[in-house]
Amino acid sequence: MQILSKRKVISALLVVTLLSFFVLPINANVVSGEWATKINDYLLQVDRNTTAEIVVFVLQSLRGHDIRKDGSEINEIVKLGVYIFNEMPLNTTAGPVVGIGKRGKDNGVLVLVAIEEREWRIEVGYGLEGDITDIESNLIAQQYLVPKFREAKYGEGLYDTVVALSQKIPTPSQTDPSRIRGTYFYENPVSGAEIPLVFIVLIIVVIFTVVIVAGIVAWKKGIRTTKIRRGGSYGGQRGGTSSGGGGDKGGGGRSGGGGAGGKW
Amino acid sequence: MNAKWLAIGIVLAIFAAIGIFVLLYFGTYNNMVGLEASVDEKWAQVQQELQRRYDLIPRVVNASKLYIQYEGSILEEITRLRSQWASAMQTGNMETIDNATGNLEGGLSRLIAVFEAYPDLEASQVVQDLMVVLEGTENRISTERMRYNEAVRDYNRTIKSFPGNMWASGWGFEKRGYFQAKVGAEEPPPVPA
Repeated sequence: MQILSKRKVISALLVVTLLSFFVLPINANVVSGEWATKINDYLLQVDRNTTAEIVVFVLQSLRGHDIRKDGSEINEIVKLGVYIFNEMPLNTTAGPVVGIGKRGKDNGVLVLVAIEEREWRIEVGYGLEGDITDIESNLIAQQYLVPKFREAKYGEGLYDTVVALSQKIPTPSQTDPSRIRGTYFYENPVSGAEIPLVFIVLIIVVIFTVVIVAGIVAWKKGIRTTKIRRGGSYGGQRGGTSSGGGGDKGGGGRSGGGGAGGKW
Repeated sequence: MNAKWLAIGIVLAIFAAIGIFVLLYFGTYNNMVGLEASVDEKWAQVQQELQRRYDLIPRVVNASKLYIQYEGSILEEITRLRSQWASAMQTGNMETIDNATGNLEGGLSRLIAVFEAYPDLEASQVVQDLMVVLEGTENRISTERMRYNEAVRDYNRTIKSFPGNMWASGWGFEKRGYFQAKVGAEEPPPVPA
């Protein structure tokens, strides 16, 4: 009597969970976890060796990312790059940080890409403008980023690009070990609005069916219905954002719109 | 006894009020000074970037000459607008300067449009590099203008808010103008890859 209902509940949960794993992460990250880790590890070494912070920021699109300045979303890649570089709090292993590159040195680089619009931008901090000129940023992107991106090899393209950029950064005689940034790869997929409607409807139908069937069964058996909980998880943000700042960690660097940009 | 305590209480209250007022007065003044200095500093940044562009233009013109002989007029126009901008800067008259800047920016937009229309031009690495630098300069100019406007916003807001608004004009702090792009001088379009 009761066992029958429980089985129905469990199978309902299983179905929904399975569906969620297959269906909901449709807006999965563009760069595979393997490349993301490889890029992050490499840039950690760059930070340790030179104190420079190269940060990669991947956007699914210039629209729908919900990165706002003065209330409205920024949809233009240059302004977005300047904002992310200078004003947006980004999560690191030591907590949220504003500014790419070390405070005072301004030795940061931001590689920003918007997959849907096929636009790239390299924003160079004030302190590195002499080492990575606008022309050099463009040449590096043309050589390493654009060809790979045209083949949809995003992870590889980004990795090659940051390696090339890092080679332009001078190695200081002494490094300051205490202020490592820790996190260099950020990906911010578009919010759930992109999940195909069909799948949402399917899930709802399944849930309703299960609930109704369970209800009928329970009513027939003359016992109270059990509540059904939805399972499942989201393929969500990696290296997310939060508010706050300060403290002895990396970051704090500034840029002024220098660098280069283009399409692939 | 009570009257004495009352009197002391009132005197203390008066001193406290005076003290608070003094702190407020000088605090507000210092704040305004800081904000105005920030506005001036950001304006200087803008000027610096405009100068950078000014210096860059002859290089762009010279590199392009070989390729757009048939469009010679645009290069002459840019050169002419550039000198006009320099003369306008000499006058110090804000309206003249703004007009000249707007005209120059319009000319640069048209130059970039010409570049896009002639593939030969874009194929030249020299021209491509200069276009990158030109675009970089434009981006720097707009970033500095944005920061200037933010500084003006903070400053204007402070001189209009209580308690600053009572004393601002007495101290000689006046509202500052925002930078506004001239109608017809659109932002140069992004450099195509």
